[in-house]
Amino acid sequence: MNQQIEDRKQESQRFQMRVLVHFGGLLPLVLLIGSYVRDELGFNPVEAALQKTGQIAAVFLVLSLAITPLRKLLKLPLLRYLRKPLGLYAAFYAALHFLTFAWWDYGLDFGLIWAEIVAKPFIIIGALALLILAVLAATSFRSVQRKMGKKWVQLHRLTYLAAILVIAHFLLAVKGNLLTLQGNYTFPLVLGGVLVVLLLMRLPGIRKNN
Amino acid sequence: MAKRKHGSVPLKKDEITPKPLYDSRRKFLKQMGFLGMGAVLASCAPAPAATSAPPAEPTGGLATLTGLTDELGNPLTDYNAVTGYCNFYEFTTNKEKVDEQAEDFVPEPWSVEVGGLVNNPRTFTMSEILETFDQQERIYRMRCVEGWSMVIPWLGFPLRQLLEEVEPTSEAKYVAFQTAMLPDVMNGVNSMMFPFPYLEGLRLDEALNDLSLLATGLYHESLPPQNGAPIRLVVPWKYGFKSIKSIVKISLVTDQPYTMWNTIAPQEYGFYANVNPDVDHPRWSQGTEIRIGENQRRDTLYMNGYADEVEYLYEGMDLAVYY
Repeated sequence: MNQQIEDRKQESQRFQMRVLVHFGGLLPLVLLIGSYVRDELGFNPVEAALQKTGQIAAVFLVLSLAITPLRKLLKLPLLRYLRKPLGLYAAFYAALHFLTFAWWDYGLDFGLIWAEIVAKPFIIIGALALLILAVLAATSFRSVQRKMGKKWVQLHRLTYLAAILVIAHFLLAVKGNLLTLQGNYTFPLVLGGVLVVLLLMRLPGIRKNN
Repeated sequence: MAKRKHGSVPLKKDEITPKPLYDSRRKFLKQMGFLGMGAVLASCAPAPAATSAPPAEPTGGLATLTGLTDELGNPLTDYNAVTGYCNFYEFTTNKEKVDEQAEDFVPEPWSVEVGGLVNNPRTFTMSEILETFDQQERIYRMRCVEGWSMVIPWLGFPLRQLLEEVEPTSEAKYVAFQTAMLPDVMNGVNSMMFPFPYLEGLRLDEALNDLSLLATGLYHESLPPQNGAPIRLVVPWKYGFKSIKSIVKISLVTDQPYTMWNTIAPQEYGFYANVNPDVDHPRWSQGTEIRIGENQRRDTLYMNGYADEVEYLYEGMDLAVYY
């Protein structure tokens, strides 16, 4: 009887967390479509949409990686329900970002798109990150996870690599000089700083102390 | 969310009718004509360039400009976009916030110091500039290195005319330009991110080309602050960052001058910065561009479509090296 109540409670908490994460995950899309429809994306809507979808994807990716440390730090086991959906939203917005580039901006002119990708290192880096996120999203189903076992855990550690690539892509996309930080580097640097902290927390020495 | 600043406050007709300044300019020229000076003025005026449109009447504002195109038939870019989407890092790096940030920038009084290797160094006040040089309308394409472009009706006069006034000496090989640095109104100059003041430069023969314009207005009004008030350079065959804004100083020099973007990232921004679809940039496509207000990319033209007028300047030069 008690077990049933406990199960139900857990189920309802899980449901609440899901509502929360899907609300948060879809809100940027709704806002983005809203500003497009109201013609508020500015004078260069493609550029604005490209930057926004990219930034949203990067934020969701870093957030998904922050969930486990936050869960331990804040002693909030419920947060575990957020990790996978946040990662999937990151993949979703990364795909939107690519579609904005390939479809909206380049009108699916594959010759032109290919020329862009190979000519620009930052696009190659972004494309690699997208590829990783796509593989991770495709293998995110519980059935696949069960089938893959330990290998799944190893595969999904690639999220960290994807995040590093995403930050590199972001830094290289900013107009300026990365070496001297002359340019608009605040956003990618803050996000990159968070990622560095998250990576450090995974180092064995530091991890044990937590 | 980026907001379309002018979207919420539609521009009224009377806001775009010419400023008193413009009228006085016209009146002055008319008087000159009546005094029989027309012929004298005409003799210093350049042969009409293929790109210069017939001067539109100052009355009527935008209405007289609708339907105007550049010499290739491209329609003018919307006034709101021209004045609402600008790169002017002295104010902010957000292109759509420059107009807002530059509101307190009142470019009066203003003077431009012209010196260096010249016989007649001289500091021109803005009113002297407007009185000395016949203002003409030029419709130019503007191609930003970031991969977008516009078509803008400028008011101004060939840089050559100003240089002829000060007479460069035979040692002068380059022209260096400097933007005002006014920390009180320019929030961005204190950011430490960029080595202000903004500097630009041209080779002397480029500066003497008839296309090189010192612009004092656009769309029949004096330059709005965000577009580089009260006087700026416009070199339409080069990427937009060469067209330095709010000029306070022009110097004739022997050596190729330092320019801001070339100093920050020389591998990305060359001194010449000619629009060239064959020389790629690590970040933006230079083969195609987004014309602001259009939905589809269009091909970028060699020298931004001005090759016939400027190609002689680069004869024998490898433009992949001198980009």
